[in-house]
Amino acid sequence: MAAYAKPVEILIDELGRLPGVGPKSAQRIAFHVLKTDKVDAQRLADALIAVKDRVSFCERCFNVAEGPECGICNDDRRDDTVLCVVEEPKDIAAMEKTGAFRGRYHVLLGHINPLEGIGPDQLKIRELALRVASEPIDEVILAMNPNIEGETTAAFLSSKILAPFEITVTRLASGLPVGGDLEYADELTLGRALEGRRSLS
Amino acid sequence: MQLRRVWLQDFRSHESLEIELDLGLTAVLGDNGVGKTNLLEAIALLSTLRSFRGAPTESLIRRGASEAIIRAEGVRDERDVLIEVALSRQGRTRVQVNRQRVQRTQDLLGALRVMVFAPDDLAMVKDGPAERRRYLDELMVVLDPRSASLQSDLDRVLKQRNALLKQCKGRLDEAAAITLDVWDDKLAGLASELTEERERLVAILGPRLQQSYAVLAGEVVPLEARYERSWSARSLGEALVDGRDDDVRRGVSLIGPHRDELDLRLDGLASRTEASQGEQRTLALAMRLAAHQLATDRLGEAPLLLLDDVLSELDPDRAAALLAHLPPGQSVITSASGLPEPTRPDAVVRVERDGTVALAPATIDGRVDDAPTGELGLSDRETTS
Ligand SMILES: [Zn+2]
Repeated sequence: MAAYAKPVEILIDELGRLPGVGPKSAQRIAFHVLKTDKVDAQRLADALIAVKDRVSFCERCFNVAEGPECGICNDDRRDDTVLCVVEEPKDIAAMEKTGAFRGRYHVLLGHINPLEGIGPDQLKIRELALRVASEPIDEVILAMNPNIEGETTAAFLSSKILAPFEITVTRLASGLPVGGDLEYADELTLGRALEGRRSLS
Repeated sequence: MQLRRVWLQDFRSHESLEIELDLGLTAVLGDNGVGKTNLLEAIALLSTLRSFRGAPTESLIRRGASEAIIRAEGVRDERDVLIEVALSRQGRTRVQVNRQRVQRTQDLLGALRVMVFAPDDLAMVKDGPAERRRYLDELMVVLDPRSASLQSDLDRVLKQRNALLKQCKGRLDEAAAITLDVWDDKLAGLASELTEERERLVAILGPRLQQSYAVLAGEVVPLEARYERSWSARSLGEALVDGRDDDVRRGVSLIGPHRDELDLRLDGLASRTEASQGEQRTLALAMRLAAHQLATDRLGEAPLLLLDDVLSELDPDRAAALLAHLPPGQSVITSASGLPEPTRPDAVVRVERDGTVALAPATIDGRVDDAPTGELGLSDRETTS
Protein backbone atom coordinates (compact mmCIF):
# COMPACT_ATOMS: atom_id res chain seq x y z
CA MET A 1 0.00 0.00 0.00
CA ALA A 2 1.47 3.35 -1.03
CA ALA A 3 1.62 5.91 1.74
CA TYR A 4 1.95 8.88 -0.60
CA ALA A 5 0.65 9.91 -4.01
CA LYS A 6 2.28 7.93 -6.80
CA PRO A 7 4.55 10.74 -8.17
CA VAL A 8 5.92 11.31 -4.67
CA GLU A 9 6.59 7.60 -4.25
CA ILE A 10 8.48 7.57 -7.55
CA LEU A 11 10.56 10.60 -6.56
CA ILE A 12 11.48 9.07 -3.19
CA ASP A 13 12.39 5.87 -4.97
CA GLU A 14 14.65 7.63 -7.48
CA LEU A 15 16.33 9.79 -4.84
CA GLY A 16 16.93 6.71 -2.71
CA ARG A 17 19.09 5.23 -5.48
CA LEU A 18 21.62 8.06 -5.20
CA PRO A 19 24.83 7.24 -3.34
CA GLY A 20 24.72 8.20 0.33
CA VAL A 21 20.98 8.86 0.31
CA GLY A 22 19.04 6.53 2.58
CA PRO A 23 15.25 6.11 2.57
CA LYS A 24 14.77 8.72 5.29
CA SER A 25 16.89 11.33 3.51
CA ALA A 26 15.13 10.54 0.24
CA GLN A 27 11.81 11.25 1.92
CA ARG A 28 13.12 14.51 3.37
CA ILE A 29 14.45 15.71 0.02
CA ALA A 30 11.24 14.71 -1.76
CA PHE A 31 9.11 16.75 0.62
CA HIS A 32 11.53 19.62 0.36
CA VAL A 33 11.08 19.58 -3.42
CA LEU A 34 7.30 19.48 -2.98
CA LYS A 35 7.43 22.68 -0.94
CA THR A 36 9.77 24.62 -3.22
CA ASP A 37 8.74 26.82 -6.14
CA LYS A 38 8.32 25.20 -9.49
CA VAL A 39 11.16 27.38 -10.89
CA ASP A 40 13.60 25.83 -8.42
CA ALA A 41 12.46 22.31 -9.25
CA GLN A 42 12.79 23.12 -12.93
CA ARG A 43 16.32 24.40 -12.41
CA LEU A 44 17.31 21.17 -10.67
CA ALA A 45 15.72 19.07 -13.40
CA ASP A 46 17.48 21.12 -16.11
CA ALA A 47 20.82 20.74 -14.36
CA LEU A 48 20.38 16.97 -14.18
CA ILE A 49 19.51 16.73 -17.88
CA ALA A 50 22.23 19.17 -18.94
CA VAL A 51 24.93 17.22 -17.19
CA LYS A 52 23.90 14.07 -19.03
CA ASP A 53 23.48 15.84 -22.39
CA ARG A 54 26.53 18.04 -22.45
CA VAL A 55 29.07 16.44 -20.16
CA SER A 56 30.66 13.07 -20.58
CA PHE A 57 33.95 11.44 -19.66
CA CYS A 58 37.13 12.61 -21.36
CA GLU A 59 38.22 10.04 -23.93
CA ARG A 60 41.81 10.28 -22.83
CA CYS A 61 41.82 10.61 -19.03
CA PHE A 62 38.17 9.99 -18.00
CA ASN A 63 37.84 13.29 -16.23
CA VAL A 64 34.47 14.96 -16.84
CA ALA A 65 34.53 16.88 -20.11
CA GLU A 66 32.32 19.08 -22.24
CA GLY A 67 33.37 17.56 -25.54
CA PRO A 68 35.62 14.63 -26.39
CA GLU A 69 38.53 15.76 -24.20
CA CYS A 70 38.69 17.64 -20.89
CA GLY A 71 40.22 21.05 -20.26
CA ILE A 72 43.37 19.59 -18.73
CA CYS A 73 44.03 17.18 -21.60
CA ASN A 74 43.52 20.10 -24.00
CA ASP A 75 45.99 22.31 -22.16
CA ASP A 76 49.37 22.30 -24.00
CA ARG A 77 51.21 23.79 -21.04
CA ARG A 78 50.78 20.68 -18.87
CA ASP A 79 53.77 18.43 -18.29
CA ASP A 80 53.38 15.29 -20.40
CA THR A 81 56.01 13.35 -18.47
CA VAL A 82 54.18 13.11 -15.14
CA LEU A 83 50.85 11.31 -14.80
CA CYS A 84 48.75 11.38 -11.65
CA VAL A 85 46.30 8.49 -11.27
CA VAL A 86 43.19 9.19 -9.19
CA GLU A 87 40.01 7.31 -8.35
CA GLU A 88 37.37 9.90 -9.25
CA PRO A 89 37.10 13.16 -11.20
CA LYS A 90 36.47 14.97 -7.91
CA ASP A 91 40.00 14.02 -6.83
CA ILE A 92 41.35 16.03 -9.79
CA ALA A 93 39.61 19.10 -8.41
CA ALA A 94 41.26 18.48 -5.03
CA MET A 95 44.71 18.10 -6.60
CA GLU A 96 44.27 21.17 -8.80
CA LYS A 97 43.45 23.30 -5.78
CA THR A 98 46.91 22.62 -4.36
CA GLY A 99 48.46 24.32 -7.40
CA ALA A 100 51.44 22.02 -6.85
CA PHE A 101 50.86 19.67 -9.76
CA ARG A 102 51.40 20.55 -13.42
CA GLY A 103 51.32 17.10 -15.01
CA ARG A 104 48.40 15.17 -16.46
CA TYR A 105 45.77 12.91 -14.91
CA HIS A 106 44.17 9.55 -15.37
CA VAL A 107 40.89 8.72 -13.64
CA LEU A 108 40.18 5.06 -12.82
CA LEU A 109 36.50 5.74 -12.10
CA GLY A 110 36.59 3.79 -8.85
CA HIS A 111 38.78 1.36 -6.96
CA ILE A 112 39.10 -2.40 -6.64
CA ASN A 113 36.22 -3.44 -4.42
CA PRO A 114 35.12 -7.10 -4.61
CA LEU A 115 32.33 -6.45 -2.11
CA GLU A 116 30.70 -4.25 -4.74
CA GLY A 117 31.69 -6.52 -7.59
CA ILE A 118 34.35 -4.14 -8.90
CA GLY A 119 37.52 -5.74 -10.18
CA PRO A 120 40.32 -4.35 -12.39
CA ASP A 121 38.22 -4.97 -15.53
CA GLN A 122 35.54 -2.57 -14.36
CA LEU A 123 38.08 0.24 -13.97
CA LYS A 124 40.01 2.27 -16.56
CA ILE A 125 43.16 0.23 -15.94
CA ARG A 126 43.64 -1.17 -19.45
CA GLU A 127 43.38 2.41 -20.72
CA LEU A 128 46.03 3.48 -18.20
CA ALA A 129 48.44 0.81 -19.44
CA LEU A 130 47.87 1.95 -23.03
CA ARG A 131 48.65 5.54 -22.11
CA VAL A 132 51.82 4.63 -20.24
CA ALA A 133 52.91 2.60 -23.27
CA SER A 134 52.20 5.33 -25.81
CA GLU A 135 52.74 8.68 -24.05
CA PRO A 136 56.15 10.11 -23.01
CA ILE A 137 55.51 9.40 -19.32
CA ASP A 138 58.49 9.18 -16.91
CA GLU A 139 56.65 9.15 -13.60
CA VAL A 140 53.27 7.85 -12.50
CA ILE A 141 51.96 9.17 -9.19
CA LEU A 142 49.40 6.92 -7.56
CA ALA A 143 46.99 9.16 -5.66
CA MET A 144 44.42 6.64 -4.53
CA ASN A 145 42.57 7.32 -1.29
CA PRO A 146 44.41 6.21 1.87
CA ASN A 147 42.00 3.41 2.72
CA ILE A 148 42.16 -0.36 2.22
CA GLU A 149 40.60 -0.36 -1.25
CA GLY A 150 42.67 2.61 -2.42
CA GLU A 151 45.90 1.08 -1.14
CA THR A 152 45.09 -2.27 -2.70
CA THR A 153 44.34 -0.61 -6.03
CA ALA A 154 47.67 1.24 -5.84
CA ALA A 155 49.47 -2.02 -5.03
CA PHE A 156 47.76 -3.72 -7.95
CA LEU A 157 48.79 -0.97 -10.36
CA SER A 158 52.39 -0.80 -9.22
CA SER A 159 53.06 -4.55 -8.97
CA LYS A 160 50.89 -5.92 -11.76
CA ILE A 161 50.38 -3.19 -14.36
CA LEU A 162 53.19 -0.64 -14.21
CA ALA A 163 56.10 -2.89 -13.21
CA PRO A 164 57.12 -3.82 -16.80
CA PHE A 165 57.50 -0.16 -17.86
CA GLU A 166 60.71 1.78 -17.37
CA ILE A 167 59.13 4.55 -15.34
CA THR A 168 59.19 5.78 -11.77
CA VAL A 169 56.06 4.87 -9.81
CA THR A 170 55.37 6.94 -6.70
CA ARG A 171 52.66 6.88 -4.08
CA LEU A 172 51.40 10.02 -2.38
CA ALA A 173 53.11 10.28 0.99
CA SER A 174 50.88 9.48 3.91
CA GLY A 175 49.97 12.30 6.17
CA LEU A 176 46.54 12.24 4.71
CA PRO A 177 43.99 11.30 7.32
CA VAL A 178 43.65 7.52 7.45
CA GLY A 179 40.33 6.32 6.15
CA GLY A 180 39.81 9.74 4.68
CA ASP A 181 38.87 10.76 1.20
CA LEU A 182 41.13 12.88 -0.92
CA GLU A 183 38.24 15.21 -1.50
CA TYR A 184 38.26 16.24 2.12
CA ALA A 185 42.01 16.60 2.51
CA ASP A 186 42.84 20.28 2.73
CA GLU A 187 45.08 21.85 0.12
CA LEU A 188 48.07 22.13 2.43
CA THR A 189 47.99 18.43 3.42
CA LEU A 190 47.58 17.32 -0.15
CA GLY A 191 50.37 19.64 -1.33
CA ARG A 192 52.71 18.22 1.30
CA ALA A 193 51.69 14.66 0.40
CA LEU A 194 52.57 15.44 -3.21
CA GLU A 195 56.02 16.78 -2.31
CA GLY A 196 56.80 13.85 -0.04
CA ARG A 197 55.66 11.09 -2.40
CA ARG A 198 57.70 7.94 -2.13
CA SER A 199 58.95 5.68 -4.85
CA LEU A 200 57.47 2.21 -5.19
CA SER A 201 59.65 1.03 -8.03
CA MET B 1 39.93 9.06 34.16
CA GLN B 2 37.51 8.70 37.06
CA LEU B 3 33.81 9.47 36.76
CA ARG B 4 31.93 11.52 39.30
CA ARG B 5 28.53 11.85 37.76
CA VAL B 6 26.59 10.32 34.91
CA TRP B 7 23.40 11.52 33.23
CA LEU B 8 21.24 9.46 30.91
CA GLN B 9 18.48 10.78 28.74
CA ASP B 10 16.24 8.49 26.73
CA PHE B 11 18.78 5.69 27.00
CA ARG B 12 17.00 2.30 26.88
CA SER B 13 14.48 2.23 29.73
CA HIS B 14 15.74 5.44 31.31
CA GLU B 15 13.90 8.60 30.30
CA SER B 16 16.10 10.57 32.61
CA LEU B 17 18.58 9.39 35.18
CA GLU B 18 21.33 11.06 37.14
CA ILE B 19 23.75 9.17 39.26
CA GLU B 20 26.77 10.08 41.37
CA LEU B 21 29.68 7.69 41.60
CA ASP B 22 32.23 7.35 44.33
CA LEU B 23 35.88 7.30 43.34
CA GLY B 24 36.11 3.91 45.07
CA LEU B 25 33.44 1.21 44.98
CA THR B 26 29.85 2.20 44.19
CA ALA B 27 27.15 -0.44 44.60
CA VAL B 28 24.09 0.01 42.39
CA LEU B 29 21.22 -1.94 43.88
CA GLY B 30 17.73 -2.53 42.65
CA ASP B 31 15.32 -5.24 41.60
CA ASN B 32 15.77 -7.07 38.35
CA GLY B 33 14.43 -5.05 35.43
CA VAL B 34 15.00 -1.54 36.83
CA GLY B 35 17.78 -0.90 34.33
CA LYS B 36 20.98 -1.44 36.31
CA THR B 37 22.70 -3.16 33.40
CA ASN B 38 21.51 -0.39 31.09
CA LEU B 39 23.35 2.08 33.27
CA LEU B 40 26.60 0.13 33.02
CA GLU B 41 26.06 -0.28 29.30
CA ALA B 42 25.78 3.49 28.95
CA ILE B 43 28.94 4.13 30.97
CA ALA B 44 30.92 1.59 28.94
CA LEU B 45 29.62 3.14 25.74
CA LEU B 46 31.33 6.41 26.69
CA SER B 47 34.59 4.57 26.29
CA THR B 48 34.12 2.50 23.14
CA LEU B 49 30.95 3.90 21.50
CA ARG B 50 29.67 0.34 21.38
CA SER B 51 27.29 -1.61 23.51
CA PHE B 52 29.11 -4.29 25.48
CA ARG B 53 26.03 -6.42 24.93
CA GLY B 54 26.51 -6.03 21.18
CA ALA B 55 23.21 -4.19 20.81
CA PRO B 56 22.62 -2.02 17.73
CA THR B 57 22.32 1.74 18.28
CA GLU B 58 18.60 1.70 17.44
CA SER B 59 17.81 -0.48 20.42
CA LEU B 60 19.66 1.84 22.81
CA ILE B 61 17.26 4.72 22.22
CA ARG B 62 14.12 4.81 24.33
CA ARG B 63 10.98 4.05 22.39
CA GLY B 64 9.39 7.26 21.17
CA ALA B 65 12.59 9.31 21.50
CA SER B 66 14.70 10.34 18.52
CA GLU B 67 18.03 10.31 20.30
CA ALA B 68 19.66 9.11 23.49
CA ILE B 69 22.19 11.19 25.37
CA ILE B 70 24.85 10.02 27.78
CA ARG B 71 26.88 12.62 29.67
CA ALA B 72 29.56 12.02 32.22
CA GLU B 73 31.61 14.34 34.32
CA GLY B 74 34.94 13.15 35.64
CA VAL B 75 38.53 13.96 36.45
CA ARG B 76 41.68 13.13 34.60
CA ASP B 77 45.09 14.37 35.72
CA GLU B 78 43.34 16.70 38.17
CA ARG B 79 41.40 18.35 35.37
CA ASP B 80 37.63 18.20 34.86
CA VAL B 81 36.50 16.28 31.83
CA LEU B 82 33.02 16.21 30.34
CA ILE B 83 32.17 13.49 27.83
CA GLU B 84 28.91 13.69 25.90
CA VAL B 85 27.58 11.13 23.45
CA ALA B 86 24.38 11.51 21.46
CA LEU B 87 23.03 8.40 19.74
CA SER B 88 20.64 9.11 16.96
CA ARG B 89 18.18 6.93 15.08
CA GLN B 90 19.15 8.69 11.89
CA GLY B 91 22.59 9.94 11.18
CA ARG B 92 25.75 9.47 13.10
CA THR B 93 26.67 9.24 16.72
CA ARG B 94 27.92 12.61 17.94
CA VAL B 95 30.64 12.86 20.55
CA GLN B 96 31.99 15.83 22.46
CA VAL B 97 34.80 15.95 24.97
CA ASN B 98 34.82 19.19 26.97
CA ARG B 99 32.33 20.59 24.46
CA GLN B 100 34.74 19.97 21.59
CA ARG B 101 33.43 17.79 18.80
CA VAL B 102 35.37 14.53 18.39
CA GLN B 103 35.63 13.55 14.73
CA ARG B 104 36.91 10.01 14.80
CA THR B 105 36.15 7.13 17.14
CA GLN B 106 39.86 6.61 17.55
CA ASP B 107 40.21 10.05 19.13
CA LEU B 108 37.76 9.12 21.87
CA LEU B 109 39.29 5.73 22.65
CA GLY B 110 41.67 6.25 25.50
CA ALA B 111 39.85 9.24 27.01
CA LEU B 112 37.94 6.95 29.36
CA ARG B 113 39.07 3.37 29.84
CA VAL B 114 36.50 0.88 30.98
CA MET B 115 36.51 -2.82 31.67
CA VAL B 116 33.29 -4.77 32.04
CA PHE B 117 32.75 -8.03 33.95
CA ALA B 118 29.44 -9.57 32.99
CA PRO B 119 27.71 -12.93 33.37
CA ASP B 120 28.16 -13.43 29.62
CA ASP B 121 31.91 -13.57 30.18
CA LEU B 122 31.49 -17.29 30.69
CA ALA B 123 31.24 -17.46 26.89
CA MET B 124 34.94 -16.55 26.74
CA VAL B 125 35.69 -19.95 28.21
CA LYS B 126 32.81 -22.09 26.96
CA ASP B 127 32.20 -20.81 23.45
CA GLY B 128 34.32 -20.98 20.31
CA PRO B 129 37.68 -19.32 19.67
CA ALA B 130 36.04 -16.10 18.39
CA GLU B 131 35.15 -15.10 21.96
CA ARG B 132 38.74 -15.53 23.16
CA ARG B 133 40.12 -13.64 20.18
CA ARG B 134 37.71 -10.83 20.95
CA TYR B 135 38.97 -10.78 24.54
CA LEU B 136 42.54 -10.31 23.31
CA ASP B 137 41.60 -7.75 20.66
CA GLU B 138 39.54 -5.63 23.04
CA LEU B 139 42.31 -5.67 25.59
CA MET B 140 44.78 -4.54 22.94
CA VAL B 141 42.58 -1.53 22.18
CA VAL B 142 42.46 -0.64 25.87
CA LEU B 143 46.26 -0.83 26.01
CA ASP B 144 46.76 1.02 22.74
CA PRO B 145 43.82 2.62 20.91
CA ARG B 146 45.78 2.53 17.64
CA SER B 147 45.21 -1.21 17.56
CA ALA B 148 41.57 -0.50 16.69
CA SER B 149 42.47 0.70 13.20
CA LEU B 150 44.72 -2.30 12.56
CA GLN B 151 41.84 -4.57 13.56
CA SER B 152 39.27 -2.82 11.40
CA ASP B 153 41.66 -2.71 8.41
CA LEU B 154 42.26 -6.43 8.72
CA ASP B 155 38.56 -7.07 9.01
CA ARG B 156 37.96 -5.09 5.84
CA VAL B 157 40.69 -6.93 3.91
CA LEU B 158 39.21 -10.27 4.95
CA LYS B 159 35.74 -9.22 3.83
CA GLN B 160 37.11 -8.10 0.46
CA ARG B 161 39.21 -11.22 0.01
CA ASN B 162 36.27 -13.46 0.88
CA ALA B 163 34.05 -11.57 -1.56
CA LEU B 164 36.64 -12.17 -4.28
CA LEU B 165 36.95 -15.87 -3.39
CA LYS B 166 33.21 -16.26 -3.47
CA GLN B 167 33.01 -14.65 -6.91
CA CYS B 168 35.50 -17.23 -8.19
CA LYS B 169 32.87 -19.94 -7.65
CA GLY B 170 35.55 -22.55 -7.05
CA ARG B 171 37.66 -21.73 -10.13
CA LEU B 172 40.42 -19.15 -10.21
CA ASP B 173 41.03 -17.56 -13.61
CA GLU B 174 44.21 -15.65 -14.35
CA ALA B 175 42.74 -12.18 -13.81
CA ALA B 176 41.27 -13.14 -10.43
CA ALA B 177 44.55 -14.80 -9.44
CA ILE B 178 46.42 -11.55 -10.08
CA THR B 179 43.97 -9.59 -7.95
CA LEU B 180 44.09 -12.23 -5.23
CA ASP B 181 47.91 -11.86 -5.09
CA VAL B 182 47.45 -8.24 -4.09
CA TRP B 183 44.85 -9.01 -1.41
CA ASP B 184 47.09 -11.79 -0.08
CA ASP B 185 49.98 -9.35 0.32
CA LYS B 186 47.75 -6.93 2.15
CA LEU B 187 46.29 -9.66 4.34
CA ALA B 188 49.69 -11.16 5.16
CA GLY B 189 51.09 -7.78 6.20
CA LEU B 190 48.24 -6.76 8.50
CA ALA B 191 47.67 -10.28 9.82
CA SER B 192 51.30 -10.80 10.80
CA GLU B 193 51.24 -7.54 12.69
CA LEU B 194 48.07 -8.48 14.58
CA THR B 195 49.21 -12.03 15.28
CA GLU B 196 52.49 -10.82 16.73
CA GLU B 197 50.62 -8.29 18.88
CA ARG B 198 48.35 -11.03 20.19
CA GLU B 199 51.27 -13.35 20.90
CA ARG B 200 53.12 -10.66 22.82
CA LEU B 201 49.95 -9.96 24.78
CA VAL B 202 49.41 -13.61 25.70
CA ALA B 203 53.02 -13.87 26.87
CA ILE B 204 52.66 -11.00 29.35
CA LEU B 205 49.12 -11.95 30.31
CA GLY B 206 49.91 -15.57 31.19
CA PRO B 207 51.53 -15.09 34.62
CA ARG B 208 48.80 -12.63 35.64
CA LEU B 209 46.10 -15.11 34.61
CA GLN B 210 47.70 -17.80 36.66
CA GLN B 211 47.87 -15.51 39.67
CA SER B 212 44.31 -14.18 39.35
CA TYR B 213 42.97 -17.69 39.06
CA ALA B 214 44.80 -18.79 42.20
CA VAL B 215 43.43 -15.81 44.14
CA LEU B 216 39.83 -16.53 43.12
CA ALA B 217 40.01 -20.31 43.47
CA GLY B 218 41.88 -20.17 46.76
CA GLU B 219 44.43 -22.68 45.49
CA VAL B 220 47.20 -22.80 42.96
CA VAL B 221 46.17 -24.64 39.82
CA PRO B 222 48.53 -24.79 36.85
CA LEU B 223 46.98 -22.60 34.18
CA GLU B 224 48.54 -22.47 30.74
CA ALA B 225 47.65 -19.85 28.14
CA ARG B 226 48.94 -20.55 24.64
CA TYR B 227 48.28 -18.71 21.41
CA GLU B 228 47.75 -21.11 18.51
CA ARG B 229 48.12 -19.89 14.95
CA SER B 230 45.89 -21.37 12.30
CA TRP B 231 48.86 -21.85 9.98
CA SER B 232 52.20 -23.52 10.37
CA ALA B 233 54.31 -22.17 7.49
CA ARG B 234 57.10 -19.73 8.28
CA SER B 235 55.04 -16.76 7.17
CA LEU B 236 51.36 -16.23 6.49
CA GLY B 237 52.29 -15.15 2.96
CA GLU B 238 53.70 -18.61 2.27
CA ALA B 239 50.78 -20.30 3.99
CA LEU B 240 48.34 -18.37 1.82
CA VAL B 241 50.13 -19.59 -1.30
CA ASP B 242 50.01 -23.18 -0.04
CA GLY B 243 46.37 -22.89 0.98
CA ARG B 244 45.13 -21.01 -2.06
CA ASP B 245 43.48 -24.01 -3.72
CA ASP B 246 41.54 -24.79 -0.55
CA ASP B 247 40.49 -21.17 -0.13
CA VAL B 248 39.25 -21.03 -3.73
CA ARG B 249 37.41 -24.32 -3.45
CA ARG B 250 35.66 -23.31 -0.25
CA GLY B 251 35.19 -19.68 -1.28
CA VAL B 252 36.44 -18.36 2.05
CA SER B 253 39.71 -17.48 3.82
CA LEU B 254 40.58 -20.56 5.82
CA ILE B 255 43.71 -19.35 7.58
CA GLY B 256 44.69 -16.13 9.31
CA PRO B 257 44.25 -14.46 12.67
CA HIS B 258 40.47 -14.81 12.29
CA ARG B 259 40.94 -18.57 12.71
CA ASP B 260 43.48 -18.54 15.52
CA GLU B 261 42.82 -19.77 19.06
CA LEU B 262 43.79 -18.84 22.59
CA ASP B 263 44.14 -22.23 24.23
CA LEU B 264 43.56 -22.19 28.00
CA ARG B 265 44.50 -25.31 29.95
CA LEU B 266 43.69 -25.91 33.59
CA ASP B 267 45.89 -28.55 35.13
CA GLY B 268 46.71 -29.75 31.63
CA LEU B 269 43.07 -30.13 30.55
CA ALA B 270 41.20 -28.09 27.96
CA SER B 271 39.17 -25.57 29.98
CA ARG B 272 36.53 -25.31 27.30
CA THR B 273 35.51 -28.94 27.37
CA GLU B 274 36.95 -30.50 30.48
CA ALA B 275 36.62 -27.96 33.29
CA SER B 276 33.62 -27.81 35.63
CA GLN B 277 31.12 -24.98 35.42
CA GLY B 278 32.58 -23.47 38.61
CA GLU B 279 36.12 -23.63 37.22
CA GLN B 280 34.96 -22.06 33.98
CA ARG B 281 33.32 -19.16 35.80
CA THR B 282 36.43 -18.66 37.88
CA LEU B 283 38.58 -18.70 34.77
CA ALA B 284 36.37 -16.12 33.03
CA LEU B 285 36.67 -13.81 36.04
CA ALA B 286 40.42 -14.44 36.21
CA MET B 287 40.69 -13.41 32.54
CA ARG B 288 38.98 -10.11 33.35
CA LEU B 289 40.98 -9.50 36.51
CA ALA B 290 44.26 -10.25 34.76
CA ALA B 291 43.33 -7.90 31.91
CA HIS B 292 42.44 -5.17 34.39
CA GLN B 293 45.71 -5.64 36.23
CA LEU B 294 47.74 -5.56 33.04
CA ALA B 295 45.97 -2.41 31.86
CA THR B 296 46.61 -0.74 35.23
CA ASP B 297 50.31 -1.66 35.12
CA ARG B 298 50.72 -0.53 31.54
CA LEU B 299 48.72 2.66 31.64
CA GLY B 300 49.59 3.76 35.15
CA GLU B 301 45.89 4.21 35.78
CA ALA B 302 43.24 1.65 36.67
CA PRO B 303 40.45 1.38 34.09
CA LEU B 304 36.97 1.98 35.47
CA LEU B 305 35.72 -1.45 36.46
CA LEU B 306 32.06 -2.25 35.80
CA LEU B 307 30.77 -5.45 37.40
CA ASP B 308 27.39 -6.36 36.04
CA ASP B 309 25.54 -8.72 38.32
CA VAL B 310 28.51 -11.06 38.57
CA LEU B 311 27.86 -12.17 42.14
CA SER B 312 24.63 -14.02 41.41
CA GLU B 313 26.52 -16.48 39.22
CA LEU B 314 29.24 -17.28 41.74
CA ASP B 315 29.24 -19.54 44.76
CA PRO B 316 29.65 -17.62 48.07
CA ASP B 317 33.35 -18.43 48.44
CA ARG B 318 34.27 -17.23 45.00
CA ALA B 319 32.05 -14.13 45.32
CA ALA B 320 33.79 -13.26 48.57
CA ALA B 321 37.20 -13.86 46.99
CA LEU B 322 36.34 -11.56 44.10
CA LEU B 323 35.12 -8.76 46.36
CA ALA B 324 38.11 -9.13 48.65
CA HIS B 325 40.50 -8.87 45.74
CA LEU B 326 38.86 -6.13 43.71
CA PRO B 327 41.68 -4.23 42.11
CA PRO B 328 42.39 -0.69 43.30
CA GLY B 329 40.67 2.09 41.41
CA GLN B 330 37.10 3.03 40.67
CA SER B 331 34.49 0.28 40.43
CA VAL B 332 30.75 0.08 39.99
CA ILE B 333 28.95 -3.14 40.87
CA THR B 334 25.29 -3.94 40.29
CA SER B 335 23.32 -6.42 42.31
CA ALA B 336 19.69 -7.27 42.98
CA SER B 337 20.36 -8.69 46.42
CA GLY B 338 23.12 -6.58 47.94
CA LEU B 339 26.76 -7.30 48.58
CA PRO B 340 27.78 -10.06 50.97
CA GLU B 341 29.72 -9.36 54.14
CA PRO B 342 32.22 -7.98 54.86
CA THR B 343 32.21 -5.81 51.72
CA ARG B 344 31.79 -2.13 52.38
CA PRO B 345 30.98 -0.14 49.28
CA ASP B 346 31.98 3.52 49.48
CA ALA B 347 28.60 4.51 48.16
CA VAL B 348 25.30 2.74 47.60
CA VAL B 349 22.82 3.87 45.00
CA ARG B 350 19.38 2.38 44.77
CA VAL B 351 17.45 2.39 41.50
CA GLU B 352 13.69 2.07 41.87
CA ARG B 353 11.23 0.55 39.46
CA ASP B 354 9.91 3.98 38.44
CA GLY B 355 13.43 5.03 37.46
CA THR B 356 14.18 7.20 40.47
CA VAL B 357 17.58 6.99 42.06
CA ALA B 358 18.30 7.38 45.73
CA LEU B 359 21.54 7.59 47.61
CA ALA B 360 21.28 5.01 50.31
CA PRO B 361 23.32 4.77 53.48
CA ALA B 362 26.02 2.21 53.00
CA THR B 363 25.28 -0.44 55.52
CA ILE B 364 27.69 -3.27 56.04
CA ASP B 365 25.93 -5.66 53.73
CA GLY B 366 25.17 -2.94 51.24
CA ARG B 367 21.45 -3.38 51.70
CA VAL B 368 19.19 -0.42 52.15
CA ASP B 369 17.43 -0.76 55.47
CA ASP B 370 16.43 2.81 56.14
CA ALA B 371 14.51 5.32 54.12
CA PRO B 372 16.66 7.10 51.55
CA THR B 373 18.46 10.09 52.95
CA GLY B 374 18.37 12.14 49.83
CA GLU B 375 16.86 12.09 46.42
CA LEU B 376 18.80 12.70 43.26
CA GLY B 377 17.39 13.34 39.87
CA LEU B 378 13.80 13.32 38.90
CA SER B 379 11.69 11.46 41.39
CA ASP B 380 8.53 13.39 40.62
CA ARG B 381 8.57 13.13 36.85
CA GLU B 382 5.72 11.47 35.07
CA THR B 383 5.97 7.83 34.23
CA THR B 384 6.42 7.18 30.57
CA SER B 385 4.37 5.26 28.12
ZN1 LIG C 1 41.18 14.46 -19.97
